[in-house]
Amino acid sequence: MPVFKTPFNGYSVKFSPFYESRLAVATAQNFGILGNGRLHVLSLPPAPASPLTELISFDTADGIYDLAWSESHDSLLVAAVADGSVKLYDTALAPAQNPIRSLQEHTREVHSVDYNPTRRDSFITASWDDTIKLWTLDRPASIRTFKEHVYCVYSAAWNPRHTDVFASASGDCTVRIWDVREPGSTMIIPGHDFEILCCDWNKYDDCIIATASVDKSIKVWDVRSSRAPISVLNGHGYAVRKVKFSPHHRNLMVSCSYDMSVCMWDFMVEDALVGRYDHHTEFAVGVDLSVLVDGLMASTGWDELVYVWQHGNGPESTLTKGSVSCFPFFFFFVKSFCIFLMEVVRLEVKA
Amino acid sequence: MAMRELVTGGAACAVPGSSSSSNPLSALANALTGSSSKTRDRIKEIPTSTTTGTEPPFYQDATAEDRLKALPGADFDHSFSRHPTLQSSEFLRNFRTADQNGFADAWEEIHRSGPPPPPALLDHRLPPPQFQPTLEGPPQRVLSNFLHSFVGSSHGGIPFRPAPLPALGLSEGDKQCIRDRSSIMARHFFADKNEDFINAQVNALLSSLDIDGDVQAKGPFAGRFRELEDYWNESQGAPRHGPPQTDGWVSEFSQHRIEHGDPNAWAHSFEQQHGPNSWASEFEQEQRLVSAADQMRGANISNLAAMEQTRMLAHTLAQNNDPKFQNSKFLQFVSKMSSGELIIDDNQVKPAALSSPGDWATEYQQKYTAGPSWVDEYAGNQLSHGPDQWANEFSAEREQRPVDDQWVNEFSKLHVNDWADEFGRQVGEGAFGESSADNWADAYDEYLNEQVVAKQNSDASRGVYVFSDMNPYVGHPNPLKEGQELFRKGLLSESVLALEAEVLKNPDNAEGWRLLGIAHAENDDDQQAIAAMMRAHEADPTNLEVLLALGVSHTNELEQAAALKYLYGWLRHHPKYGTLANPELSDSLYYADVARLFNEAAEMSPEDADVHVVLGVLYNLSREYDKAIASFQRALKLKPQDYSLWNKLGATQANSVQSAEAILAYQQALDLKPNYVRAWANMGISYANQGMYEDSIRYYVRALAMNPKADNAWQYLRISLSCASRNDLFEACDSRNLDVLQKEFPL
Repeated sequence: MPVFKTPFNGYSVKFSPFYESRLAVATAQNFGILGNGRLHVLSLPPAPASPLTELISFDTADGIYDLAWSESHDSLLVAAVADGSVKLYDTALAPAQNPIRSLQEHTREVHSVDYNPTRRDSFITASWDDTIKLWTLDRPASIRTFKEHVYCVYSAAWNPRHTDVFASASGDCTVRIWDVREPGSTMIIPGHDFEILCCDWNKYDDCIIATASVDKSIKVWDVRSSRAPISVLNGHGYAVRKVKFSPHHRNLMVSCSYDMSVCMWDFMVEDALVGRYDHHTEFAVGVDLSVLVDGLMASTGWDELVYVWQHGNGPESTLTKGSVSCFPFFFFFVKSFCIFLMEVVRLEVKA
Repeated sequence: MAMRELVTGGAACAVPGSSSSSNPLSALANALTGSSSKTRDRIKEIPTSTTTGTEPPFYQDATAEDRLKALPGADFDHSFSRHPTLQSSEFLRNFRTADQNGFADAWEEIHRSGPPPPPALLDHRLPPPQFQPTLEGPPQRVLSNFLHSFVGSSHGGIPFRPAPLPALGLSEGDKQCIRDRSSIMARHFFADKNEDFINAQVNALLSSLDIDGDVQAKGPFAGRFRELEDYWNESQGAPRHGPPQTDGWVSEFSQHRIEHGDPNAWAHSFEQQHGPNSWASEFEQEQRLVSAADQMRGANISNLAAMEQTRMLAHTLAQNNDPKFQNSKFLQFVSKMSSGELIIDDNQVKPAALSSPGDWATEYQQKYTAGPSWVDEYAGNQLSHGPDQWANEFSAEREQRPVDDQWVNEFSKLHVNDWADEFGRQVGEGAFGESSADNWADAYDEYLNEQVVAKQNSDASRGVYVFSDMNPYVGHPNPLKEGQELFRKGLLSESVLALEAEVLKNPDNAEGWRLLGIAHAENDDDQQAIAAMMRAHEADPTNLEVLLALGVSHTNELEQAAALKYLYGWLRHHPKYGTLANPELSDSLYYADVARLFNEAAEMSPEDADVHVVLGVLYNLSREYDKAIASFQRALKLKPQDYSLWNKLGATQANSVQSAEAILAYQQALDLKPNYVRAWANMGISYANQGMYEDSIRYYVRALAMNPKADNAWQYLRISLSCASRNDLFEACDSRNLDVLQKEFPL
């Protein structure tokens, strides 16, 4: 399994959408609590046994919590920096010529960034200042600020089909669905009893969204009927930090957790845990699936290591099937918000 | 907002001193004094124009006015569009290389005492830089060396040799940074623990780094204010409980984000209930008193408390037997930092003499010569943190409670009073004045109770059939016959009235209720349909059509458990397939079991359209739309005249993103039954899903013309109007003015 040792603690890893052997890693010193950050661009070795090689790296004055590859330029990266800035890097330019842009608007740590996969000219950032901001490449300032959450926003993810729709996950225990053409959020899902750290849309069904929470569970929701989750995936021993749907299989997703493991799930079957990877020795906080190679996974964590492997044949593919179950979960709340399904959501059709 | 940030920006914003600042005041101060590390950061990032004469105008601007940061990303266009040819920018890049990295590298080199610098940095290190302003630099670099060598030493068993800290120490910004980030992160690591513990954890870490008291005293109660607002907003929809809402309630004491948001909303409604009796001012007074008291007690107490918390931490870590966690560098780091094995003394980092935990008290006494009085002070401190205990109790009780669908109600009934009282009592004894706290607790208690009542009412209303007010069919000699006739003619709304008259006359008439339910379903009103069907089910628990209809309705609502119950009931009561059903199964239904039984039934009699219909519904439930479509198509071969089957097929196709095919199926249904409101509405949805909003509006309007009571269709219509940018018709839609809409969108 190709490995790369980063000098700082890993925070996020993402495969390039343009080159199947390229990936980028965001890191932060001192576990992201205080210190510098570094963005690495890595290349997969031709032989699986050899280590990953670094193509270039960029330093920042504060930790980098997340990154996103541009969907329009193969060399463009966006970094979410803990000092509240959003920085753009061009990997074709020397480190000294970077960042090509530094967008300073968030008043607190920027925790996630997501590049719009359908419009390809814009991205959103989620911050601990409780807001989400929408940016485009051609403007020096954000286009819009979405402020409704009442606590840190940990992640925001574009819908894979509806170009104006995204979801945000927050420490206020809600997920909100937004349409950038609408003044406010179009839907609020009070998904967990504890902070929600991440959300991601299914790449095949634009109504299905997964949430990862401090309550150790992952829940899968149908936004057309968000009163109860479609399924609840239990198996992580600590807070679930990230969740990501497979770009190749409708029912598969991966997650990583403060229990130091990376898990793969099939949310449609009862025994949902497909595999568990225990290679990290500190909190596993970053995981990604390659869009270009089916089953190619990468993970990073606070053990300062980046791993890349093919699902199923990693040397540590200890597929320990745990006591994992999927059960219907009843959730109660008064539906008094104007829950108004915009075209976000393919409307529920009644038989 | 602007004002608030001007005043309190330091608290709400990231880090004035270290790496970023959006606080205008501190930015101004930095610019004026030029002494903070922030300013130096800027200087090194901005190429100065003194050495060059022929730069692009942008850079001159920047140097003149220090505008680089003020216009975020303003250099984008230049470097992006001009690379790689332009000469002057080439020059600038070189300049920046030297300036920026050289500076940073030099820093690393000078202050790095223990571990070697990361390899990448070595590549472009510079000869002695002349830019270095002073010896005490960005403190986080110093700290990072110290933290790193500390963590490294714990790993490799090397004795830890602390590097001398420069006089600067940690800036306020750094302290705040550490404080804010570690408290947010700690909530993620220690999800199992209560807020009290998490705060203790963070405080222990912070006090070890000598970050405490003064930072904390800035706004210990700010969070509460915010929480009230959260409660107000959130409980509008749901009395929800979870951190940071509930547990966080207490923790927000220490988290000083002065983000009041819009407290007016809360205050306003509070005033409406209780009159403007100056709650806010009382509160603020108390706040000042308490924070003043905190300050007076000073760091002694917090250090002491931190030491006490150390033991909790050690205890918890010892409890986790996972070797992976025992070996975690991060947890060791937190542990050592918080256990006082590391202290900062006279600006020097020292490993504390490895003493037994009991010695801390002695050390403390020696250090602060507090004598026996510390016990009293400590007790006082405990009292003032009374609400923490509430958090403990609360989370303890909550953990014990099994999660079931009634938990909100139960919780509200059982605990709301408890905790409100408890809180009232504790604060009464503790640091706050009695009146304000009691008022608050009472008011909140009252409010929550109201919520619970409202909730129960709304629960009750679900599943209760609502009759029309003016019903001309009351007194009709045979309303059932009339209703059946009207239904056959497709006059759904009329037949609903006739059937209502029937069930008013004969409340036990299952057929009347059933037909009423069907009429409502076809009229696109599922709430009433379910309510009517439930009554039919009560009257005749074995009626197959009723069971199937209830299964379909619950599938529409995506209520899997209920749907399975009724569909399984259908099988159990079926004369032919009843034998397949296993009576033991009815207690715990799993989708797979039910699906298997119906597949067996389908094998038994492949010519029974009904079995295929149920199978189709089941596959909808599991979202296996391809199989569902196949089942419905098989059923349609046997029953091509069943309009509701065509609609089911269409709905399934639409749900599996085959909107074009769906429209054909709906068309079949409408050919068979032109007044089929649900099919008209579904047709609209399919057009909307294909982005043909104008068309979808026509179909919705048509459906609504037939049944103006179809609430869903009104909602869909509004969405399509918005998508078609016909906001001008919102008013007509909201006032349900069909004439205007029909004129605008004739079909």
